[in-house]
Parts: sequence; structure tokens; C-alpha cells
Amino acid sequence: MNRFDLLNKVQNILKDNLVICNIGLPSQELYKISDQPNFFYMLGSMGLSSSIGLGLSLSQNKHVISIDGDGSVLMNMNTLATIGNRAPSNYTLLIIDNGSYGSTGDQRTFTDEKTSLKDVALGAGCKNVIECSGEETVNELNKAIDDKDNSYVIISKINSGNVKIDPIPLNPITIRDRFRKFIGKVKYL
Amino acid sequence: MKISKKIIDNLKKGGVDFYLSVPCKLLANMIDILENDKDVYYSAVPREEEGMGICAGAYLGNKFPCIMMQNTGIGNSVNAIVSLLQLYQMPVVFLISYRGTPGEPVGAQGGMAKITEDILQTLRIPMLHCSSEKELDKISTFSKHAKVVESPVAILCDFNLMKDDK
Repeated sequence: MNRFDLLNKVQNILKDNLVICNIGLPSQELYKISDQPNFFYMLGSMGLSSSIGLGLSLSQNKHVISIDGDGSVLMNMNTLATIGNRAPSNYTLLIIDNGSYGSTGDQRTFTDEKTSLKDVALGAGCKNVIECSGEETVNELNKAIDDKDNSYVIISKINSGNVKIDPIPLNPITIRDRFRKFIGKVKYL
Repeated sequence: MKISKKIIDNLKKGGVDFYLSVPCKLLANMIDILENDKDVYYSAVPREEEGMGICAGAYLGNKFPCIMMQNTGIGNSVNAIVSLLQLYQMPVVFLISYRGTPGEPVGAQGGMAKITEDILQTLRIPMLHCSSEKELDKISTFSKHAKVVESPVAILCDFNLMKDDK
């Protein structure tokens, strides 16, 4: 199973939640599978999907899923400590760990060598850290959302590989405004 | 404490209700005030760039965020400022302790101080430079300006203004 297969499998769960989606191929693949106003596609700032989702979950009550990658989490590992200490129960970090920098040509990341993001997250103070296969991810994601008392970090171990895809044609203000409208905080549009 | 209280009062008057900090000794009093303020959210964060991401999420959730940091933090955050906050036009207040300005005892802080305003200017970030107490009165209007122009804005507080705020 690669990232595109996994996103296909979890799309029905994502539709019912606020989603922050990582820059590059993850966002482009999700857009191709199913574009929704409650999906915030990152067009820059690699590494910050986890952090944007954390800020969003601290600011309103709907459940937030940050879709991140192993390469991006390695770039912003300090935020796992912030999540371990501050994440509210409406927050789930889904790390799609394919052991490679998918958007830049599938170069290996350190999770394909010695680094375990599960151990890093646990050491950073995250309590509910699940490492699972792509097939198990739907079930683990549902459990995380159903648990109203705890936040979760789910590390979905899948194969590398991408589908051929175009950049997202939406402009950033469109992504921003329809997302904020979905939350119900802004009246315009 | 008087200066720090005035800054926080003015930020709150400007609508800011979500605060993060990467600590600095010049920000210590403000952090104390915010930790005891039940009306607003406050947390420390390990790194400024990450803080920009958290502020972006808070803005999407309809908060008006501020990140407090040393001027060195701007250097850690340039890509996040440009390709997240500015790309999506997100208002965030940067409250910056301006290390390396006159009165600073640590010589090594001078390097970032020399280029801080140049970086902010290059990024086209509106600046409010506070070197005396009376300039603090402009903070609430300046913060509101961030929302009007949908942009991050920077408030720079000089070393000498903050150092004796016991």
C-alpha cells in the first residue's frame, strides 16, 4: 500500500473532520481523491502540518486530523514535545511513514534507517502513540476520533511510491476562506 | 512589571487572545502575567518556526494570535512567515524583544540586531518600534491593523525599555 491507496482508504473519515494536509504530493493526491472545503492544503511551510493542526485544535472544538509525513516530522520534531504536553483530545496526528521524501523523488529518510518516530513521540511526552500498517489505519483513526478524552499520534507504515499528479489549482485565499467558512466562524463567501 | 502589563493590556485591547512564547528574560514578566490570565490562551513552544504554524492554526480557528520571541526567532522562521502566514494572508502579531540594541550586555546578540529590521523590511512586515513607554500606547491600534491588512506585524521592544521593568 502506498500513500495514494491509504488516502483512498481513509477519505470517508477525513470528510467528517477538519484536515490539515501536508505540502506536496499528499495534498495533491488528497485533492485528486476528494476535494472538500474542510481540507486545508498546505502550499508551503514544510514541516508545519502537525503544528497548524495543533493550533486549530486548541482554538475550536471540532476534531482535527493533521496529515503529516516522516520527512516533515523529522524536520519539526520539537513539535512532538508541544503535542505531548499541550494537545487537546480533539487532535490526531496521522504520520504517513513511507520512509522516503516522496515529493522530492523518494530519497530515503532516517525512518528507513535507525529512527523510530514512535519512540521519539513517546519520549516527547505523547501518550497514545500507535504504530500500525496501512490496512489497520482506518480502524486506528476511528478509535482515536471516538476517544473524547485523549489525543493520538498514529504512525501508518506504508510503502513509498507516488502517482502522477498535477499541482493543486486552488489559490491560497480560496483554501483559507472556504475552510474558515466551514468551521462557521466567518460569514462572508 | 508596569511596562509588561501595559504591553499585554494593549495587545488584549487590540483583540489578541492566543499567546505563545519562546522565552527571553526580557519577556519573563509578560509570561508571568499570561500564565495567570484565565481570559486568554498561553503556552511556551520550543521553537519559533513551529509557533508560526500553531498561530496559523489558531487563526483558522478564529483566534487572534501573538508569538513572543527574541529577534533571533525571526531568523528561525522566515520560510514559515512567507510560505504560510503571508501566502494565506494570516494576521499574527510578533512581539519581539529586541536583543542586541543599546544596553545589551551580550555582544554576540549584536549580529542579529544589525539585520533584524532589514529582514522585516525585506519581508514587507509592518513594524512598530518601541523605545519608550509612550510608544506602547500604539500597540492596540497596531495590532488591529494586522487584521485589517491580513498580515503578520512586528512590535520591536528595545532592550533598554524592557530591562528595568521589575
